[in-house]
Amino acid sequence: MMNSQSLKPGAIAAVLNTDHVTEATRAALKTRLAWSPPAEPKCFGPEDFAVLTAVCERLVPQPHPDRQVALAARLDERLAGGVGDGWRYDALPPDRIAIAQGIMGIDQTARALLHNGFCDLSPTEQDQVLCAVQQGSPPGEVWKTLDAKRFFEDLLAQVCELYYSHPYAQERIGYIGMADAQGFHALGLNRRDPVENEAYDAPV
Amino acid sequence: MRRFDHSETVDAVVIGTGAGGAPIITRLAQAGMSVVALEAGRRWNPARDFATDEDAQTPLFWNDERLSAGGDPLAFGANNSGTGVGGSTLHFTAYTPRAQADDFRLKSDFGVAVDWPFGVEEIEPYYDELERFLGVAGPENYPWGPARGPYPLPAHMPNGAAELMARGCEPLGIKTSLAPNAALSVRRDGDGYGDRGVCTNRGFCQAGCSTGAKASTDVTFLPLAEAAGAEIRENAYVTKLETGPDGRITGVVYRKDGVDHRQPCRTVFLCAGAIESPRLLLLNALGNSSGQVGRNFMAHTGMQVWGVFYEEVRPNKGIPGALISEDTHRPKDADFAGGYLLQSIGVMPVTYATQVARGRGLWGETLTRHMENYNHIAGINILGDCLPSPGNFMELSEELDGQGLPKPRIHFTNGDNEKRMAAHAEKIMREIWSRAGARDLWSFPRNAHIIGTCRMGTGAGEAVVDPECRSFDVPNLYVMDNSVFPTALGVNPALTIMALSLRAADRFIARAARGET
Repeated sequence: MMNSQSLKPGAIAAVLNTDHVTEATRAALKTRLAWSPPAEPKCFGPEDFAVLTAVCERLVPQPHPDRQVALAARLDERLAGGVGDGWRYDALPPDRIAIAQGIMGIDQTARALLHNGFCDLSPTEQDQVLCAVQQGSPPGEVWKTLDAKRFFEDLLAQVCELYYSHPYAQERIGYIGMADAQGFHALGLNRRDPVENEAYDAPV
Repeated sequence: MRRFDHSETVDAVVIGTGAGGAPIITRLAQAGMSVVALEAGRRWNPARDFATDEDAQTPLFWNDERLSAGGDPLAFGANNSGTGVGGSTLHFTAYTPRAQADDFRLKSDFGVAVDWPFGVEEIEPYYDELERFLGVAGPENYPWGPARGPYPLPAHMPNGAAELMARGCEPLGIKTSLAPNAALSVRRDGDGYGDRGVCTNRGFCQAGCSTGAKASTDVTFLPLAEAAGAEIRENAYVTKLETGPDGRITGVVYRKDGVDHRQPCRTVFLCAGAIESPRLLLLNALGNSSGQVGRNFMAHTGMQVWGVFYEEVRPNKGIPGALISEDTHRPKDADFAGGYLLQSIGVMPVTYATQVARGRGLWGETLTRHMENYNHIAGINILGDCLPSPGNFMELSEELDGQGLPKPRIHFTNGDNEKRMAAHAEKIMREIWSRAGARDLWSFPRNAHIIGTCRMGTGAGEAVVDPECRSFDVPNLYVMDNSVFPTALGVNPALTIMALSLRAADRFIARAARGET
């Protein structure tokens, strides 16, 4: 198998500074790389935001301390913007309400199952709580009116969107499709365009 | 571009500029009629505005919230919509197989659903015209359907998934072919709409083509329409269809930059797609004496099977639907009505990750490890028929959107026919992918495209529009988009929508020439 798992950290930032990338693509990714969270979340109080942060860390673990995408803060920003994605499950309330309720619900489930707040559990215990929510009938007052399975699916999908849109994640999976200016001409199995090979060697 | 005044009564207002609207706008303007097109979205400059980045492209989709209900609630937005001048063709994957003769007669052949009021022979001349006009790239000899000549342009190069599908199908005796795609594979001039650029294999068709290679209507029909004198108004969100004492529409009210405007007109063509078209009729209590507006909502059976391969695939590269098989159009061992086509598919990383999240429920290190295989992922997909069912419909909800109008709620549940078809297809696709060498196989049951809701038919009591797409109730109202399909057809809809639109336009022009209104 060819070594196509990951690009070196910084490989995408490097390619953005070349003529391999169109202006529109460069602008989008540079903005995303430069974004930093506001001092305080807009849709969550500090305790709920701490739970959301801990949940995001379990949903998408990020092992490299200097390559962290601030998923909870980005989700907060998205919810505050109020721009939807064209649909939601009829079974759930609007996104901002559903996520706020679900985060409270996760903490309730943690307390019901393990007698401790979600943030105070070990990673293994946190996963146990999230599994219970994903499976659809967790203990907790919130879940009497909020569909746990649908909530979990939606939260996970949103966190995935935010993470895999980010160059840090794209380096991790070896994606270099943003090098779009010349297009791609080596199609088919085990074929790489020059820009794809260069991405593995680029000095960063 | 010619501009019409709000005091001028134009021959036609066309609502929507996608596959349904654009051909009509163009034909009518070319016939010398005064035409104003109202498009809810903005005008894009693909070279300047379109990034090769999924998140940056989210404004390309219809993002007003729809409420998804039923046993198999559908995703909207990026899954099946586009917004802006060009409508949903901005999102379509360029995949343009023709429907076959038997797609139009499920009732006659299987005793289910309904037959279309006419057969494929009515639209075949338009398929011919469209393939030339759009510049469809495809094989010399397409193996299914009636014999015909080569596609106008050479087929696109197969990508990794296409190679794998050919490899997996061959030992199973399943015939494959390079697929027809309405994207320029080579440079070509002389179609009247200017230079479009050749496909650069970014694989990004569904999130906006930046080169003009894909034959979305903004780079094909609409420049011709404007040259012929049609006016296209962007950011014009239609809210009202006004009628006179005789029940005919007298004008269309739309909101632009927060201000309401009224455009008087002699005829309205409603081409806003299978959610917004019926929604406008329901909001205006128009054209619904049959009670069928919003009913018969359909979504193609779209089961996908994914796998991880030893070889490097790089699924973001190449025309996404490069290889096709229609051997499953009417499978001999089928326990269902109708059939489906098979296609290899490309995928972008964010789309794939969210499908893994929603469809497979992976999270934590299981998810991130799986995603590290991205460059070795390949998928195969079906596009299958869907039968109309009384339980599947769109309605107005009580919840209001940003315009202060009720959000649409869509109820959808796959019926037994769709379930049996999906099961049949899943088994075949798993065999193909196993033969091709896939490991870590997984299936993603889904439905694609939005169809039905303003059914075409021959009887006023059972359909919304007649076979010429004219409302049974309002004589100067036409509906012309995917909402008029009586059944879903076992192929991707864009080419057939455009063909129906050209046919409706020609019928309308002929009627006008005879002095009928």
